[in-house]
Amino acid sequence: MASPSRFEELALPHMEAAFNLAFWLLRSRSDAEDAVQEAYLRAFRAFDGFRGDEIRPWLFAIVRNAAYRSLNLRRRAANVVSLDEALPGAGGEPGPAFQIAADEPSAEEAMIGADERDLVRRALAELPPAFREVVVLREIEGLGYREIAEITGTVVGTVMSRLARGREHLRKTLARKAGKDQSNAM
Amino acid sequence: MPCDQPFDRVSAYIDGELPAEERRAFALHLETCPACASLATELRQIGRSLAASGREPMPSELPSRIRLALAQAADRPEEPAAPAPRLRRWPVPVMLRQAAAILVACLVSSLATLWFVTGASQGRLLEQDLLSAHVRSLLQDSPIQVASSDAHTVKPWFAGKVDFSPEVRDLAPQGFPLVGGRLDSIGGKRVGALVYKRRLHLINVFAWATQGSDAAPSLSTRSGYNLLTWTRGGVAYAAVSDLDGKELERLAELL
Repeated sequence: MASPSRFEELALPHMEAAFNLAFWLLRSRSDAEDAVQEAYLRAFRAFDGFRGDEIRPWLFAIVRNAAYRSLNLRRRAANVVSLDEALPGAGGEPGPAFQIAADEPSAEEAMIGADERDLVRRALAELPPAFREVVVLREIEGLGYREIAEITGTVVGTVMSRLARGREHLRKTLARKAGKDQSNAM
Repeated sequence: MPCDQPFDRVSAYIDGELPAEERRAFALHLETCPACASLATELRQIGRSLAASGREPMPSELPSRIRLALAQAADRPEEPAAPAPRLRRWPVPVMLRQAAAILVACLVSSLATLWFVTGASQGRLLEQDLLSAHVRSLLQDSPIQVASSDAHTVKPWFAGKVDFSPEVRDLAPQGFPLVGGRLDSIGGKRVGALVYKRRLHLINVFAWATQGSDAAPSLSTRSGYNLLTWTRGGVAYAAVSDLDGKELERLAELL
């Protein structure tokens, strides 16, 4: 098998971004660590077949798949209502915040520990994964629609509408949270 | 006040992802539509807050952990290359390693059963058992129960756990650092296992009490693993590794 050096040279600089993507999909640091390690091993083993100029979309697609595998396994293991099911219709009104905790209790706990003014991160954590991932790739990683489409295995039009719906969700969640904060203050 | 422009368009506009013509048209629209303009500002603000909150910081030990895993994968390519999951794929359970571990354990044990049923000799059965114990140790998080680079911690640890006292030497100066020891079971018997390293190769040296007389090391190969067995002072030893046979023999000499 090829030596890791060439692969490392190309792939290791993207590890922070890969971890960020896995973290936001899994909302758990330790699960994200495992997913990133698994993804890097898979990518390394498949590296001979990589024929592109850009490693990032290829690598992130593998990271994303590893994260989804982890997510699926966790759901099956916990045998609970998934986030997508908890929210009536992917584009509908998000349910109450605490409903999300039924999906993965660790997620909500992790987010509650975050800074109070970090509302935007908590709102992001509440997004359904299909919207969350495009928002993370766009707003945190600053990727273009074409690259996001490649990573998520969709087309640019889908990225556009998911991103728009994700933003709509975020906006409503933030407005709701801000409203709640104000009423608490009074 | 509500505008008939789709939300998608505002969102794509602030990302600069609208085709040139649409983009120009929408820019003009923004100048005359306060609803869309304030929405665009709001979405930009959310984007800025997200960007400012930054990436979730990566655990500092992750790069070294991954480098090590890659080095091990390069050294021991026992798993076939997985196809690049480029597009949407069937969701495969994530704890692939555990699944693979169970699979290999099942495979190895069913092979062992097959040998038994087909009347394989005791020796082959023993070899199979040694090999599966070795593979099992590789699949676990840690191959050792007592960690040490110091022979004086490992040797007493075996006292009272097995009915003999194995030779325990740290051979780090000779390039075989002692990682530690653990208990294992071979052929229904409790045995001691010493774990050595040679570069990135892991070596299990199994040891158990025997009635047999001393025997010189004899090397065999099974499923790509080298097995070296010898008997000395009423203790039978078996070293198992994917390490080169010559180097394994050197370890037996040093012990």
